[in-house]
Amino acid sequence: MIVATAQTSGRESARDIPVWDPLVRLIHWSLASAILLNSTIVDEESTVHEWIGYVALALVGIRLIWAIIGPKHARFSAFPPSPLRAVRYLRSVVQGNRTVHLTHNPLGALMVYNIWLTVIVLGVTGYMMTTLAYFGAEWVEEAHEAAFNWLVFSVALHVAGVAFDTWRSGVNLVRAMIIGRKRVAEGQEVE
Amino acid sequence: MRLSIWPAKTRERRATILAGLILVQAISALFFIGDVIEDFGTAWQLGDPHLVLEFVAALALLAGVVFLMIELRSLLSRMSDMQTGLDVARGRMAEVIEAFFDEWTLTGAERDVAIMILKGLDNDNIARIRNTAAGTVRAQATRIYGKSGTEGRAQFISLFMEELMAGDFSQGGSNDQPARGAPRDSPPKAPPSPQNRT
Repeated sequence: MIVATAQTSGRESARDIPVWDPLVRLIHWSLASAILLNSTIVDEESTVHEWIGYVALALVGIRLIWAIIGPKHARFSAFPPSPLRAVRYLRSVVQGNRTVHLTHNPLGALMVYNIWLTVIVLGVTGYMMTTLAYFGAEWVEEAHEAAFNWLVFSVALHVAGVAFDTWRSGVNLVRAMIIGRKRVAEGQEVE
Repeated sequence: MRLSIWPAKTRERRATILAGLILVQAISALFFIGDVIEDFGTAWQLGDPHLVLEFVAALALLAGVVFLMIELRSLLSRMSDMQTGLDVARGRMAEVIEAFFDEWTLTGAERDVAIMILKGLDNDNIARIRNTAAGTVRAQATRIYGKSGTEGRAQFISLFMEELMAGDFSQGGSNDQPARGAPRDSPPKAPPSPQNRT
């Protein structure tokens, strides 16, 4: 009975559904810290900047492997990159649909791939700047700069999207990414 | 039941530690591999024992990471199996409670009060939640005890405790050993028959 009370106490008849495994959460927050550190306090000419960049690249690499061999919710198949689904989802949001998506919603999924790809571009161009072959090459530096601007824009959009979806669906997404579980109100549709 | 909660928490801790290890080891592995690749580019000499060793070490590291990942995945799936088992048990307990209530022909209000009694609320709290007078709740509680043939709160609750402890309700779904050491091969329990007790 202790278990039963523990589950039903708090909000009336809400379900706590485990979604994000610990590895996904650790990678998410490590990547977020890496991006934050490298874009704000770390001097961009320093070796620390380089190392943090490689760590970020490694994090994305590990996440990609985990998306192949990991559990159901961490896999690519749980959030396929599909602009078509994103458009359909956008239309349903406008119509006031409050369906909860257990993993990323289709729009959020696109953002995930976008951020991973951007970090990879940043990492690769950043590495190229340290090699002899591309040292001082203008276009590499410009690409790195452009990718960084795009990343800042993407992260801002990502945070705004999380805030919007938390407001729309009533599921606190930040909490879900910290403790791993989404609290879904009774009777709310889950996809 | 408290005993069966602890392993779940331990497993959650284990999963988190495992995830942290995977992360650190994977990052180390990737750096090591990057180093090896760089060495291959600059000082490539077939059969250089140093390079060969480095290459083997890098492969072993990577294999270790993949192995840990698979280990973590199976730990996570065991945890989710256990959750399913708990949900089944919870669902069954709810069914058992409903069956008792039906048998006693409790009214809607009495059902609410009975559930709150089972959850350990006292009459004053129940009255506050239901926005009624404490006397009303007391009367409802008395009717519930009368209909169930019990002599008060403690005996009423023990009716359900007995149900919880006697049956093997972890069957169906869960692959884990039953928490209380109940025999796995006990025959499936017949649907609750509260009339035996009234």
